[in-house]
Amino acid sequence: MLERVAILVGLLAVASAAYWWWQRRQGRVRTPQDAHVLTAQTLGEPRGGHATFVQFSTPMCAKCPGTARLLRQVAAEHRGVSHVEIDASVRLDLARELGILRTPTTLVLDGNGAIAARMDGPPTPVQVREALDAVKRRATDYSI
Amino acid sequence: MTEDVQIDPRGYRFGAAVTLALAIVAMLLGPTTAGLIVMAVLVALFVPAALVGPQASLQGAIFKRLIRPRIGAPTETESSRPPRFAQQMGLAMAAAALVLGLVGLDWGFWVFGAMVTVASFLNAVFGFCLGCEIYLLLKRAGARAA
Repeated sequence: MLERVAILVGLLAVASAAYWWWQRRQGRVRTPQDAHVLTAQTLGEPRGGHATFVQFSTPMCAKCPGTARLLRQVAAEHRGVSHVEIDASVRLDLARELGILRTPTTLVLDGNGAIAARMDGPPTPVQVREALDAVKRRATDYSI
Repeated sequence: MTEDVQIDPRGYRFGAAVTLALAIVAMLLGPTTAGLIVMAVLVALFVPAALVGPQASLQGAIFKRLIRPRIGAPTETESSRPPRFAQQMGLAMAAAALVLGLVGLDWGFWVFGAMVTVASFLNAVFGFCLGCEIYLLLKRAGARAA
């Protein structure tokens, strides 16, 4: 019996460690170096003039509505920023092309539709603003 | 099917805690008569949540009657679809543990019982829904094979 308790505690400790590792990667802002450009036609919705949050969701995703609310709110606070939500289970072509492995995954497009930042997993408000700053940095690169 | 029922995520998490408690008891008892009875109870508790959604489960009813009146209305609700998908996975794993245990394949009882324990543990303690994460991966794999 004592042996089983020890194995069970060990198993749950490993699960906790795995979860902790996974949790740390949530919503982390990355700036991918890929040349993808997403047009309004591909998205099926118009892009924002300055930046666009492209959020991939599925109907089964529990954290997606919360992320959508956050992104809509941040988009409303900034001029020229819009939010587009895409059902990854319908747009499997896009999900595969862009390597969407989990939902929500959010791409941040600059004014030209190029991917300036990417967040896998639900981001915090701080991470969303950080991602938006990546667009700004990119815009400066071009104009100078 | 298209109608989307909103549920209180705390209720679903309470349900996961009930599952976790039963799964731990089953794991401690092992594939004995008592352990298999506990696993059978677990399977029975999974059925309504897997078929209809967590709102139809006994755990959900207990939460609604005894716990929510004490902690007040939820600040946020969730779609019942992700939890239902997860409950279907839970049902499959618990049923596999029960059947394999009944036919004398003890390793099956341990392996699938451990999977139920870990999944319900992550949900009860961290509020992390393993089934929802797996959904898109399954969809992608299915589309590629087709």
